[in-house]
Amino acid sequence: MNCGDCQEILSRFIDGDLDDRSSAALADHLAVCAECTVIRDDLAEILLRCGEPETAEAVPPNPAALWRRINNLIESEMPPETPVKQEPKSWFARGWNLTFSQAGAAVLTIALISSLLTIVGLRNYFEPPGSDLPTRANEPPSTMHRLLSKVGLSETPKQARERRVQEQQAAIEYWDKRVQTRRASWDERMRVAFDRNLYEIDQAVSEYQMILQKDPEDQLSEEMLDSALTEKMNLLRQFSEL
Amino acid sequence: MSFLAKIGCGPNGPKKTTILLWLSVVFFCMANADPAFGQRRFSRSFAAGQNVRLHLFNRSGTVTVEGWNRSEVSITANIEAPAAIIAPQVGNDGTISINLVKDNQGRGELGNVNFLVRVPYSCSVDIETVIGNLIVTNVRGGLVRAHISSEGDITLTNISAFAVAAQNGIGDIFFDGEIQNGGNYRFASMRGNINLRIPFTSSFKVVATAPSTRNISLGPFSGSGMSYQSDGRRVVGKFGDGGSTLTVTNQRGSISFFRR
Repeated sequence: MNCGDCQEILSRFIDGDLDDRSSAALADHLAVCAECTVIRDDLAEILLRCGEPETAEAVPPNPAALWRRINNLIESEMPPETPVKQEPKSWFARGWNLTFSQAGAAVLTIALISSLLTIVGLRNYFEPPGSDLPTRANEPPSTMHRLLSKVGLSETPKQARERRVQEQQAAIEYWDKRVQTRRASWDERMRVAFDRNLYEIDQAVSEYQMILQKDPEDQLSEEMLDSALTEKMNLLRQFSEL
Repeated sequence: MSFLAKIGCGPNGPKKTTILLWLSVVFFCMANADPAFGQRRFSRSFAAGQNVRLHLFNRSGTVTVEGWNRSEVSITANIEAPAAIIAPQVGNDGTISINLVKDNQGRGELGNVNFLVRVPYSCSVDIETVIGNLIVTNVRGGLVRAHISSEGDITLTNISAFAVAAQNGIGDIFFDGEIQNGGNYRFASMRGNINLRIPFTSSFKVVATAPSTRNISLGPFSGSGMSYQSDGRRVVGKFGDGGSTLTVTNQRGSISFFRR
């Protein structure tokens, strides 16, 4: 028997399936052939292991500790991190390392802004809605407005009135010039009516101005003066269109 | 003797006395001629919905607007010589507009134009004139506005509108109508009497100012809700719930309230 014949029937020999004559021939060969003997031993070992009952899967005694070890191992093998360039900190994040003058300026700015906001809030709170009032001159100045005008931060009622009267007088002069160019084309009745109405308005205006000279705080006269001047302006405008 | 000879127009021409006689007859006829002789008449009608609006701006003359129970606006006008041009226009929103001032600008002397306009009850009326009276009757639309630039009376009778504004220079203003809750009513005059006749059930906030005469008579509407201010030149107060706003200003005249 040669080695090929031997390895071909070796598996059956181990299982004990060979007849006596073949088994004797194989044993004779194994006795003289070391290579086939090694093969027989390996195969016999494999078959022996396969025949053993299954054992439970080996579980590490402390899985958490095992994972820590694994992690440490991985981290130790990772390349070291490059240092991250730090972003410049914002103004607020730097901390309040202010000089005395900077701190003073900051306090003053905060005080000024809060005062202005308070003033605006109070003015809005005190001012009544204008829709219920006949004219804007009727709006009484709020306490805050008076206060501001006294310290020179806002115009006084007299200054406001004078400014308004000046604006109205400018408009009146403009319309009066237009009326003068048109007047010649009116009939006698128009001219008489116009003059009579203008006279009435002028009378009222001078009356209110006289009262305001005596009592500049008289709000009603101020309002009526405003109204009369508006009337005059409207009269001139209407007649300039004829 | 022929007829010509009898009347002084013989072959030798008319005698002086005859000429004078004829001239005086012609002069007499012209001087006593009916003013209507020089008048023209304008008349137009427009179909109108319930929410129609009339805007009329006259130059001189009387404008009378009457509400009626028809879906139609009827405009008639007597035009005195020299005759003004009347050119009504109807807007896309149904507003009927007549503007005599614009249509006759620069035409110099013009005669009066007296309008009689009939509108549906629910019509909004906005009328204006330079000189002349304005009369509005039986209107219950959203707005009634009457404005006279110079002289003339404003008479608003049987009005029930949410917003009423009447203003003139020299002349009286009379309002007879309802004050609707939440409405706005303004009356202003330079010199004249403002008389307001409103129901006692009205509810309003009032600011009445007569700085020159201090003649403000609240009549049945006076009470604890009213206060006289500025030495009696102004009355401010509330009547009822104060739902509507009433502003009356008469620079050199009186203000009176009456119960309707």
